[in-house]
Amino acid sequence: MMYLIFLFSVCFVLGVLGVAANPAPFFGAVALVFGALGCCGVLVGLGGSYIGIVLLLIYLGGMLVVVAYSVALAAEPYPEAWVNHSVLMHVLGYVLLVLLVGWCFMELFVESGVDAAGFFSLRGDFSGVVLLFSMGGWLLLLSGWGLLLALFVVLELTRGRARGGLRVP
Amino acid sequence: MSPLIWSLLITSLATSTIITMSSHHWLLAWVGLELNTLSILPVIIKSHHPRATEAATKYFLIQAAAAALILLASTLNAWQTGHWSIMHTSAHTTTIITLAILLKLGIAPMHGWYPEVLQGSTMNTALIISTWQKLAPLTLLYLINNNPPTNILLLMGVISALAGGWIGLNQTQTRKIMAFSSIAHMGWLIITLNLSLHLTTTTMMIYMITTTAMFMSLNTTTTKTMTDMGMAWTQSPPLTTMMMITLMSLGGLPPLTGFTPKWLILNNLCHMNLLFPTIILAMASLPSLFFYIRLAYFTTLTTPPNTTNTHHKWRFKPPLIAGLTPATSLAALLLPLMPMMIS
Repeated sequence: MMYLIFLFSVCFVLGVLGVAANPAPFFGAVALVFGALGCCGVLVGLGGSYIGIVLLLIYLGGMLVVVAYSVALAAEPYPEAWVNHSVLMHVLGYVLLVLLVGWCFMELFVESGVDAAGFFSLRGDFSGVVLLFSMGGWLLLLSGWGLLLALFVVLELTRGRARGGLRVP
Repeated sequence: MSPLIWSLLITSLATSTIITMSSHHWLLAWVGLELNTLSILPVIIKSHHPRATEAATKYFLIQAAAAALILLASTLNAWQTGHWSIMHTSAHTTTIITLAILLKLGIAPMHGWYPEVLQGSTMNTALIISTWQKLAPLTLLYLINNNPPTNILLLMGVISALAGGWIGLNQTQTRKIMAFSSIAHMGWLIITLNLSLHLTTTTMMIYMITTTAMFMSLNTTTTKTMTDMGMAWTQSPPLTTMMMITLMSLGGLPPLTGFTPKWLILNNLCHMNLLFPTIILAMASLPSLFFYIRLAYFTTLTTPPNTTNTHHKWRFKPPLIAGLTPATSLAALLLPLMPMMIS
Protein backbone atom coordinates (compact mmCIF):
# COMPACT_ATOMS: atom_id res chain seq x y z
CA MET A 1 0.00 0.00 0.00
CA MET A 2 2.81 2.36 0.85
CA TYR A 3 4.40 1.49 -2.47
CA LEU A 4 1.26 2.65 -4.25
CA ILE A 5 1.33 5.89 -2.31
CA PHE A 6 4.99 6.27 -3.22
CA LEU A 7 4.17 5.79 -6.89
CA PHE A 8 1.43 8.41 -6.65
CA SER A 9 3.87 10.83 -5.06
CA VAL A 10 6.39 10.19 -7.87
CA CYS A 11 3.60 10.96 -10.33
CA PHE A 12 2.86 14.15 -8.41
CA VAL A 13 6.50 15.27 -8.47
CA LEU A 14 6.80 14.53 -12.19
CA GLY A 15 3.62 16.45 -12.86
CA VAL A 16 4.86 19.45 -10.91
CA LEU A 17 8.19 19.25 -12.76
CA GLY A 18 6.26 19.23 -15.99
CA VAL A 19 4.35 22.34 -14.98
CA ALA A 20 7.56 24.11 -14.00
CA ALA A 21 9.45 23.18 -17.17
CA ASN A 22 6.68 23.19 -19.73
CA PRO A 23 7.59 24.16 -23.30
CA ALA A 24 4.12 25.53 -23.95
CA PRO A 25 1.09 26.17 -21.75
CA PHE A 26 -0.84 23.25 -23.27
CA PHE A 27 1.71 20.75 -22.00
CA GLY A 28 1.79 22.51 -18.67
CA ALA A 29 -1.94 22.00 -18.31
CA VAL A 30 -1.61 18.29 -19.08
CA ALA A 31 1.20 17.96 -16.56
CA LEU A 32 -0.96 19.80 -14.02
CA VAL A 33 -3.66 17.14 -14.48
CA PHE A 34 -1.15 14.39 -13.76
CA GLY A 35 0.17 16.25 -10.76
CA ALA A 36 -3.30 16.77 -9.34
CA LEU A 37 -4.20 13.12 -9.88
CA GLY A 38 -1.00 12.01 -8.19
CA CYS A 39 -1.58 14.29 -5.22
CA CYS A 40 -5.18 13.14 -4.92
CA GLY A 41 -3.97 9.54 -4.93
CA VAL A 42 -1.53 10.27 -2.12
CA LEU A 43 -4.23 11.92 -0.04
CA VAL A 44 -6.81 9.20 -0.59
CA GLY A 45 -4.25 6.49 0.12
CA LEU A 46 -3.46 8.11 3.45
CA GLY A 47 -7.11 8.14 4.44
CA GLY A 48 -8.22 11.62 3.53
CA SER A 49 -10.83 10.79 0.94
CA TYR A 50 -12.83 13.98 1.38
CA ILE A 51 -9.85 16.27 1.03
CA GLY A 52 -8.75 14.35 -2.06
CA ILE A 53 -12.10 14.93 -3.69
CA VAL A 54 -12.00 18.60 -2.80
CA LEU A 55 -8.50 18.86 -4.26
CA LEU A 56 -9.65 17.27 -7.51
CA LEU A 57 -12.68 19.51 -7.64
CA ILE A 58 -10.72 22.72 -7.12
CA TYR A 59 -7.72 21.86 -9.26
CA LEU A 60 -9.35 20.15 -12.18
CA GLY A 61 -12.70 21.83 -12.02
CA GLY A 62 -11.50 25.30 -11.13
CA MET A 63 -7.84 25.98 -11.76
CA LEU A 64 -7.58 23.84 -14.86
CA VAL A 65 -10.56 25.58 -16.42
CA VAL A 66 -8.94 28.97 -15.77
CA VAL A 67 -5.62 27.67 -17.12
CA ALA A 68 -7.38 26.33 -20.21
CA TYR A 69 -8.97 29.72 -20.92
CA SER A 70 -5.65 31.52 -20.40
CA VAL A 71 -3.93 28.98 -22.64
CA ALA A 72 -6.53 29.57 -25.32
CA LEU A 73 -5.62 33.26 -25.23
CA ALA A 74 -1.90 32.54 -25.52
CA ALA A 75 -2.02 29.88 -28.22
CA GLU A 76 0.94 29.54 -30.55
CA PRO A 77 0.80 27.51 -33.77
CA TYR A 78 4.13 25.64 -33.49
CA PRO A 79 4.96 25.04 -29.86
CA GLU A 80 8.14 23.32 -28.73
CA ALA A 81 7.87 19.73 -27.60
CA TRP A 82 9.12 17.90 -24.54
CA VAL A 83 12.13 16.38 -26.28
CA ASN A 84 13.50 19.66 -27.51
CA HIS A 85 16.98 20.19 -26.17
CA SER A 86 16.33 23.28 -24.04
CA VAL A 87 13.23 21.83 -22.38
CA LEU A 88 14.93 18.52 -21.64
CA MET A 89 17.82 20.31 -19.93
CA HIS A 90 15.38 22.19 -17.72
CA VAL A 91 13.49 19.02 -16.79
CA LEU A 92 16.70 17.15 -15.96
CA GLY A 93 17.89 20.08 -13.92
CA TYR A 94 14.70 20.14 -11.89
CA VAL A 95 14.84 16.36 -11.38
CA LEU A 96 18.36 16.76 -10.01
CA LEU A 97 17.18 19.56 -7.71
CA VAL A 98 14.31 17.45 -6.39
CA LEU A 99 16.62 14.51 -5.78
CA LEU A 100 19.13 16.67 -3.92
CA VAL A 101 16.50 18.34 -1.73
CA GLY A 102 14.81 14.97 -1.16
CA TRP A 103 18.12 13.47 -0.08
CA CYS A 104 18.38 16.14 2.62
CA PHE A 105 14.93 15.42 3.98
CA MET A 106 14.76 11.66 3.55
CA GLU A 107 16.05 10.66 6.94
CA LEU A 108 13.43 12.90 8.52
CA PHE A 109 10.62 10.95 6.86
CA VAL A 110 8.29 9.67 9.56
CA GLU A 111 5.79 6.86 9.33
CA SER A 112 2.60 8.57 8.29
CA GLY A 113 -0.29 8.10 10.64
CA VAL A 114 -3.24 6.55 8.87
CA ASP A 115 -6.79 6.67 10.16
CA ALA A 116 -8.08 4.79 7.17
CA ALA A 117 -9.20 1.74 9.10
CA GLY A 118 -12.89 1.06 8.92
CA PHE A 119 -15.82 3.29 8.11
CA PHE A 120 -16.14 5.37 11.25
CA SER A 121 -18.09 8.51 10.50
CA LEU A 122 -15.53 10.88 12.02
CA ARG A 123 -12.52 10.81 9.68
CA GLY A 124 -9.55 13.07 10.23
CA ASP A 125 -10.06 15.38 7.29
CA PHE A 126 -13.80 15.66 7.50
CA SER A 127 -13.66 16.47 11.20
CA GLY A 128 -11.49 19.41 10.29
CA VAL A 129 -14.17 20.74 8.00
CA VAL A 130 -16.76 20.21 10.73
CA LEU A 131 -14.61 22.24 13.09
CA LEU A 132 -14.20 24.95 10.47
CA PHE A 133 -17.95 25.32 10.17
CA SER A 134 -18.68 25.17 13.89
CA MET A 135 -16.00 26.64 16.11
CA GLY A 136 -13.96 28.25 13.37
CA GLY A 137 -16.79 30.39 12.08
CA TRP A 138 -14.67 33.52 11.91
CA LEU A 139 -12.05 31.75 9.84
CA LEU A 140 -14.76 30.60 7.47
CA LEU A 141 -15.92 34.19 7.14
CA LEU A 142 -12.33 35.26 6.51
CA SER A 143 -11.89 32.62 3.81
CA GLY A 144 -15.11 33.68 2.11
CA TRP A 145 -14.08 37.29 2.21
CA GLY A 146 -10.66 36.41 0.83
CA LEU A 147 -12.27 34.63 -2.10
CA LEU A 148 -14.55 37.59 -2.79
CA LEU A 149 -11.54 39.89 -2.63
CA ALA A 150 -9.66 37.68 -5.08
CA LEU A 151 -12.59 37.90 -7.47
CA PHE A 152 -12.65 41.69 -7.42
CA VAL A 153 -8.87 41.92 -7.60
CA VAL A 154 -8.80 39.80 -10.75
CA LEU A 155 -11.64 41.87 -12.18
CA GLU A 156 -9.69 45.07 -11.59
CA LEU A 157 -6.39 43.67 -12.83
CA THR A 158 -7.83 42.62 -16.16
CA ARG A 159 -9.86 45.76 -16.65
CA GLY A 160 -7.35 47.77 -18.65
CA ARG A 161 -7.11 45.28 -21.46
CA ALA A 162 -6.83 47.77 -24.28
CA ARG A 163 -4.71 50.34 -22.52
CA GLY A 164 -1.62 48.67 -21.26
CA GLY A 165 0.60 45.68 -20.89
CA LEU A 166 -2.06 42.97 -20.93
CA ARG A 167 -2.61 42.82 -24.64
CA VAL A 168 -5.72 40.87 -25.51
CA PRO A 169 -6.29 40.82 -29.27
CA MET B 1 -12.36 52.21 -10.49
CA SER B 2 -15.79 51.71 -9.01
CA PRO B 3 -16.06 53.28 -5.52
CA LEU B 4 -17.39 50.04 -4.05
CA ILE B 5 -14.43 48.02 -5.28
CA TRP B 6 -12.04 50.74 -4.18
CA SER B 7 -13.49 50.79 -0.68
CA LEU B 8 -13.36 46.99 -0.53
CA LEU B 9 -9.69 47.09 -1.52
CA ILE B 10 -8.74 49.75 1.00
CA THR B 11 -10.66 47.96 3.73
CA SER B 12 -8.95 44.68 2.87
CA LEU B 13 -5.57 46.39 2.83
CA ALA B 14 -6.05 47.65 6.37
CA THR B 15 -7.73 44.53 7.70
CA SER B 16 -5.18 42.09 6.31
CA THR B 17 -2.35 43.89 8.06
CA ILE B 18 -4.34 43.81 11.29
CA ILE B 19 -5.02 40.09 10.82
CA THR B 20 -1.33 39.37 10.48
CA MET B 21 -0.45 41.59 13.39
CA SER B 22 -2.95 39.94 15.70
CA SER B 23 -2.38 36.29 14.79
CA HIS B 24 -0.82 33.56 16.92
CA HIS B 25 -1.09 30.84 14.31
CA TRP B 26 1.16 30.70 11.28
CA LEU B 27 -1.66 29.90 8.90
CA LEU B 28 -3.58 32.99 9.90
CA ALA B 29 -0.48 35.13 9.54
CA TRP B 30 0.06 33.72 6.06
CA VAL B 31 -3.57 34.39 5.13
CA GLY B 32 -3.15 38.00 6.23
CA LEU B 33 0.01 38.40 4.16
CA GLU B 34 -1.61 36.97 1.04
CA LEU B 35 -4.72 39.13 1.43
CA ASN B 36 -2.39 42.10 1.83
CA THR B 37 -0.63 41.32 -1.44
CA LEU B 38 -3.91 40.70 -3.25
CA SER B 39 -5.54 43.90 -2.12
CA ILE B 40 -2.73 46.24 -3.07
CA LEU B 41 -2.28 44.87 -6.59
CA PRO B 42 -5.20 46.79 -8.16
CA VAL B 43 -4.00 49.90 -6.32
CA ILE B 44 -0.61 49.64 -8.03
CA ILE B 45 -2.08 48.83 -11.42
CA LYS B 46 -4.84 51.44 -11.24
CA SER B 47 -3.74 53.53 -14.23
CA HIS B 48 -3.13 50.42 -16.38
CA HIS B 49 -0.04 52.00 -17.86
CA PRO B 50 2.47 49.30 -18.95
CA ARG B 51 4.91 50.59 -16.33
CA ALA B 52 2.31 50.17 -13.61
CA THR B 53 1.40 46.70 -14.89
CA GLU B 54 5.04 45.71 -14.76
CA ALA B 55 5.37 47.08 -11.24
CA ALA B 56 2.30 45.16 -10.08
CA THR B 57 3.57 41.94 -11.67
CA LYS B 58 6.95 42.26 -10.01
CA TYR B 59 5.36 43.07 -6.66
CA PHE B 60 3.04 40.08 -6.90
CA LEU B 61 5.77 37.60 -7.85
CA ILE B 62 8.11 38.69 -5.06
CA GLN B 63 5.45 38.79 -2.35
CA ALA B 64 3.91 35.48 -3.43
CA ALA B 65 7.29 33.74 -3.43
CA ALA B 66 8.06 35.13 0.02
CA ALA B 67 4.65 34.08 1.37
CA ALA B 68 5.12 30.59 -0.08
CA LEU B 69 8.48 30.40 1.71
CA ILE B 70 6.80 31.41 4.96
CA LEU B 71 4.16 28.73 4.46
CA LEU B 72 6.84 26.13 3.73
CA ALA B 73 8.88 27.05 6.78
CA SER B 74 5.86 27.09 9.10
CA THR B 75 4.76 23.68 7.78
CA LEU B 76 8.28 22.35 8.39
CA ASN B 77 8.08 23.77 11.88
CA ALA B 78 4.71 22.10 12.46
CA TRP B 79 6.13 18.81 11.17
CA GLN B 80 9.15 18.93 13.45
CA THR B 81 7.75 20.51 16.59
CA GLY B 82 4.06 19.68 16.32
CA HIS B 83 2.59 23.11 16.81
CA TRP B 84 1.82 26.19 14.75
CA SER B 85 2.47 28.85 17.35
CA ILE B 86 4.38 31.81 15.96
CA MET B 87 6.17 32.71 19.17
CA HIS B 88 7.63 29.24 19.70
CA THR B 89 9.06 28.67 16.25
CA SER B 90 12.23 26.61 16.31
CA ALA B 91 15.57 28.09 15.38
CA HIS B 92 16.05 26.36 12.03
CA THR B 93 12.77 27.54 10.59
CA THR B 94 13.08 31.08 11.90
CA THR B 95 16.06 31.42 9.58
CA ILE B 96 13.96 30.56 6.53
CA ILE B 97 11.10 32.75 7.75
CA THR B 98 13.44 35.67 8.40
CA LEU B 99 14.87 35.43 4.90
CA ALA B 100 11.36 35.36 3.46
CA ILE B 101 10.35 38.40 5.49
CA LEU B 102 13.49 40.27 4.46
CA LEU B 103 12.54 39.54 0.86
CA LYS B 104 9.12 41.04 1.56
CA LEU B 105 10.65 44.13 3.15
CA GLY B 106 13.02 44.80 0.28
CA ILE B 107 16.25 44.46 2.19
CA ALA B 108 19.51 43.95 0.33
CA PRO B 109 20.52 41.61 -1.21
CA MET B 110 16.85 40.99 -2.04
CA HIS B 111 16.13 44.59 -2.92
CA GLY B 112 16.08 44.46 -6.72
CA TRP B 113 12.33 44.66 -7.10
CA TYR B 114 11.81 47.58 -4.75
CA PRO B 115 12.94 50.64 -6.76
CA GLU B 116 11.21 49.40 -9.89
CA VAL B 117 7.93 48.81 -8.09
CA LEU B 118 8.03 52.23 -6.50
CA GLN B 119 8.90 53.91 -9.80
CA GLY B 120 6.00 52.21 -11.56
CA SER B 121 3.37 53.36 -9.07
CA THR B 122 1.96 56.76 -8.24
CA MET B 123 3.39 58.79 -5.38
CA ASN B 124 0.58 57.89 -2.97
CA THR B 125 0.82 54.20 -3.82
CA ALA B 126 4.57 54.36 -3.31
CA LEU B 127 3.90 55.89 0.10
CA ILE B 128 1.59 53.01 1.02
CA ILE B 129 4.10 50.40 -0.18
CA SER B 130 6.90 52.10 1.75
CA THR B 131 5.08 52.52 5.03
CA TRP B 132 1.91 50.50 5.57
CA GLN B 133 3.06 47.36 3.74
CA LYS B 134 6.08 47.08 5.98
CA LEU B 135 4.03 46.73 9.16
CA ALA B 136 2.82 43.15 8.70
CA PRO B 137 6.19 41.51 7.91
CA LEU B 138 7.85 43.50 10.66
CA THR B 139 5.30 42.25 13.17
CA LEU B 140 6.22 38.69 12.29
CA LEU B 141 9.86 39.56 12.86
CA TYR B 142 8.90 40.82 16.31
CA LEU B 143 7.01 37.63 17.10
CA ILE B 144 9.80 35.24 16.13
CA ASN B 145 12.30 37.14 18.25
CA ASN B 146 12.60 34.24 20.71
CA ASN B 147 14.98 32.46 18.32
CA PRO B 148 16.27 35.13 16.00
CA PRO B 149 18.98 34.42 13.40
CA THR B 150 21.15 37.23 14.77
CA ASN B 151 24.02 36.90 12.31
CA ILE B 152 21.73 37.08 9.30
CA LEU B 153 19.92 40.14 10.65
CA LEU B 154 23.18 41.92 11.41
CA LEU B 155 24.77 41.07 8.06
CA MET B 156 21.72 41.96 5.98
CA GLY B 157 21.29 45.19 7.89
CA VAL B 158 24.81 46.32 7.19
CA ILE B 159 24.58 45.26 3.52
CA SER B 160 21.28 47.11 3.15
CA ALA B 161 22.62 50.30 4.62
CA LEU B 162 25.60 50.11 2.27
CA ALA B 163 23.56 49.17 -0.81
CA GLY B 164 20.89 51.77 -0.19
CA GLY B 165 23.45 54.50 0.09
CA TRP B 166 25.64 53.44 -2.80
CA ILE B 167 23.03 52.68 -5.44
CA GLY B 168 20.96 55.72 -4.43
CA LEU B 169 23.82 57.98 -5.45
CA ASN B 170 23.12 57.37 -9.12
CA GLN B 171 19.40 58.13 -9.09
CA THR B 172 17.60 61.16 -10.43
CA GLN B 173 14.00 60.01 -10.07
CA THR B 174 12.63 60.99 -6.68
CA ARG B 175 10.65 57.80 -6.19
CA LYS B 176 13.75 55.69 -6.74
CA ILE B 177 15.68 57.93 -4.37
CA MET B 178 13.02 57.33 -1.75
CA ALA B 179 13.19 53.60 -2.50
CA PHE B 180 16.89 53.46 -1.76
CA SER B 181 16.38 55.64 1.27
CA SER B 182 13.83 53.08 2.44
CA ILE B 183 16.23 50.19 1.80
CA ALA B 184 18.90 51.87 3.90
CA HIS B 185 16.49 52.65 6.73
CA MET B 186 15.20 49.09 6.73
CA GLY B 187 18.78 47.95 7.09
CA TRP B 188 19.21 50.04 10.22
CA LEU B 189 15.83 48.77 11.44
CA ILE B 190 16.52 45.05 11.29
CA ILE B 191 19.70 45.49 13.26
CA THR B 192 17.61 46.77 16.14
CA LEU B 193 15.83 43.41 16.30
CA ASN B 194 18.99 42.05 17.87
CA LEU B 195 19.23 44.91 20.32
CA SER B 196 15.89 45.88 21.79
CA LEU B 197 12.33 45.66 20.52
CA HIS B 198 11.47 49.08 21.96
CA LEU B 199 14.21 50.48 19.79
CA THR B 200 12.73 48.70 16.78
CA THR B 201 9.38 50.32 17.39
CA THR B 202 10.99 53.74 17.82
CA THR B 203 13.00 53.35 14.61
CA MET B 204 9.96 52.17 12.68
CA MET B 205 7.79 55.05 13.89
CA ILE B 206 10.40 57.65 13.07
CA TYR B 207 11.04 56.06 9.68
CA MET B 208 7.34 56.10 8.88
CA ILE B 209 6.90 59.71 9.96
CA THR B 210 9.87 61.05 8.02
CA THR B 211 9.13 58.99 4.91
CA THR B 212 5.49 60.07 5.00
CA ALA B 213 6.51 63.72 5.34
CA MET B 214 8.84 63.40 2.35
CA PHE B 215 6.39 61.53 0.15
CA MET B 216 3.59 63.95 0.93
CA SER B 217 5.81 66.91 0.10
CA LEU B 218 6.80 65.28 -3.19
CA ASN B 219 3.15 64.63 -3.92
CA THR B 220 2.09 68.22 -3.23
CA THR B 221 4.71 69.69 -5.51
CA THR B 222 4.43 66.79 -8.04
CA THR B 223 8.18 66.55 -8.33
CA LYS B 224 9.05 63.28 -10.01
CA THR B 225 12.67 64.01 -10.89
CA MET B 226 15.52 66.06 -9.49
CA THR B 227 15.09 68.67 -12.20
CA ASP B 228 11.46 69.10 -11.11
CA MET B 229 12.75 69.74 -7.62
CA GLY B 230 14.70 72.70 -8.94
CA MET B 231 11.50 74.42 -9.98
CA ALA B 232 9.41 73.39 -6.99
CA TRP B 233 10.21 76.46 -4.95
CA THR B 234 7.88 78.55 -7.04
CA GLN B 235 4.94 76.49 -5.92
CA SER B 236 5.43 76.91 -2.22
CA PRO B 237 8.67 78.28 -0.76
CA PRO B 238 7.87 77.27 2.83
CA LEU B 239 7.19 73.74 1.67
CA THR B 240 10.52 73.47 -0.08
CA THR B 241 12.25 74.78 3.02
CA MET B 242 10.53 72.12 5.05
CA MET B 243 11.54 69.57 2.43
CA MET B 244 15.13 70.46 3.13
CA ILE B 245 14.53 69.99 6.86
CA THR B 246 12.81 66.65 6.24
CA LEU B 247 15.69 65.48 4.07
CA MET B 248 18.15 66.39 6.77
CA SER B 249 16.01 64.43 9.22
CA LEU B 250 16.04 61.42 6.88
CA GLY B 251 19.81 61.71 6.73
CA GLY B 252 20.01 61.47 10.49
CA LEU B 253 21.38 64.86 11.38
CA PRO B 254 20.92 66.26 14.87
CA PRO B 255 18.95 68.19 16.18
CA LEU B 256 16.24 66.64 14.03
CA THR B 257 14.10 63.58 14.69
CA GLY B 258 16.00 61.27 12.38
CA PHE B 259 19.04 61.47 14.61
CA THR B 260 17.27 59.54 17.39
CA PRO B 261 17.32 56.04 15.88
CA LYS B 262 20.83 56.34 14.54
CA TRP B 263 22.20 57.52 17.87
CA LEU B 264 20.40 54.87 19.89
CA ILE B 265 21.37 52.07 17.51
CA LEU B 266 25.03 53.02 17.46
CA ASN B 267 24.96 53.37 21.23
CA ASN B 268 23.42 49.94 21.70
CA LEU B 269 25.80 48.31 19.23
CA CYS B 270 28.77 49.76 21.09
CA HIS B 271 27.37 48.46 24.38
CA MET B 272 27.25 45.00 22.81
CA ASN B 273 30.87 45.32 21.69
CA LEU B 274 30.00 45.14 18.00
CA LEU B 275 32.39 47.86 16.92
CA PHE B 276 33.01 46.71 13.36
CA PRO B 277 29.35 46.81 12.28
CA THR B 278 29.04 50.12 14.12
CA ILE B 279 31.82 51.69 12.10
CA ILE B 280 30.51 50.29 8.81
CA LEU B 281 26.97 51.47 9.57
CA ALA B 282 28.12 54.95 10.48
CA MET B 283 30.19 55.19 7.31
CA ALA B 284 27.35 53.71 5.22
CA SER B 285 25.01 56.50 6.22
CA LEU B 286 27.30 58.96 4.51
CA PRO B 287 26.43 58.21 0.85
CA SER B 288 22.74 58.39 1.84
CA LEU B 289 23.36 61.74 3.46
CA PHE B 290 25.09 62.88 0.30
CA PHE B 291 22.14 62.27 -1.94
CA TYR B 292 19.75 63.81 0.58
CA ILE B 293 21.90 66.91 0.71
CA ARG B 294 22.12 66.99 -3.08
CA LEU B 295 18.33 66.88 -3.23
CA ALA B 296 18.03 69.60 -0.59
CA TYR B 297 20.58 71.68 -2.51
CA PHE B 298 18.54 71.53 -5.70
CA THR B 299 15.32 72.14 -3.86
CA THR B 300 16.12 75.02 -1.59
CA LEU B 301 19.69 76.17 -1.66
CA THR B 302 20.15 77.07 -5.33
CA THR B 303 18.03 78.02 -8.27
CA PRO B 304 19.06 75.91 -11.25
CA PRO B 305 20.08 77.85 -14.36
CA ASN B 306 17.12 78.62 -16.54
CA THR B 307 15.74 81.31 -18.80
CA THR B 308 14.10 84.19 -17.02
CA ASN B 309 10.54 83.50 -17.94
CA THR B 310 10.69 79.89 -16.74
CA HIS B 311 11.85 80.88 -13.30
CA HIS B 312 8.31 81.59 -12.22
CA LYS B 313 6.54 78.46 -13.35
CA TRP B 314 2.81 78.88 -13.82
CA ARG B 315 1.38 77.22 -10.78
CA PHE B 316 -1.98 75.77 -10.12
CA LYS B 317 -3.34 75.69 -6.61
CA PRO B 318 -1.38 72.93 -4.89
CA PRO B 319 -3.51 70.15 -3.46
CA LEU B 320 -4.10 70.50 0.23
CA ILE B 321 -2.94 67.19 1.68
CA ALA B 322 -4.22 66.89 5.21
CA GLY B 323 -1.42 65.03 6.92
CA LEU B 324 1.42 67.02 5.44
CA THR B 325 1.87 69.60 8.17
CA PRO B 326 1.75 67.24 11.14
CA ALA B 327 4.06 64.76 9.43
CA THR B 328 6.59 67.43 8.55
CA SER B 329 6.54 68.97 12.02
CA LEU B 330 6.99 65.59 13.65
CA ALA B 331 9.78 64.74 11.24
CA ALA B 332 11.72 67.72 12.41
CA LEU B 333 11.03 68.25 16.07
CA LEU B 334 10.80 64.98 17.98
CA LEU B 335 14.37 64.72 19.25
CA PRO B 336 13.68 66.15 22.74
CA LEU B 337 11.22 63.31 23.32
CA MET B 338 13.95 60.73 22.90
CA PRO B 339 14.25 59.76 26.60
CA MET B 340 10.55 59.00 26.63
CA MET B 341 10.85 56.90 23.51
CA ILE B 342 13.47 54.51 24.76
CA SER B 343 11.95 53.67 28.12
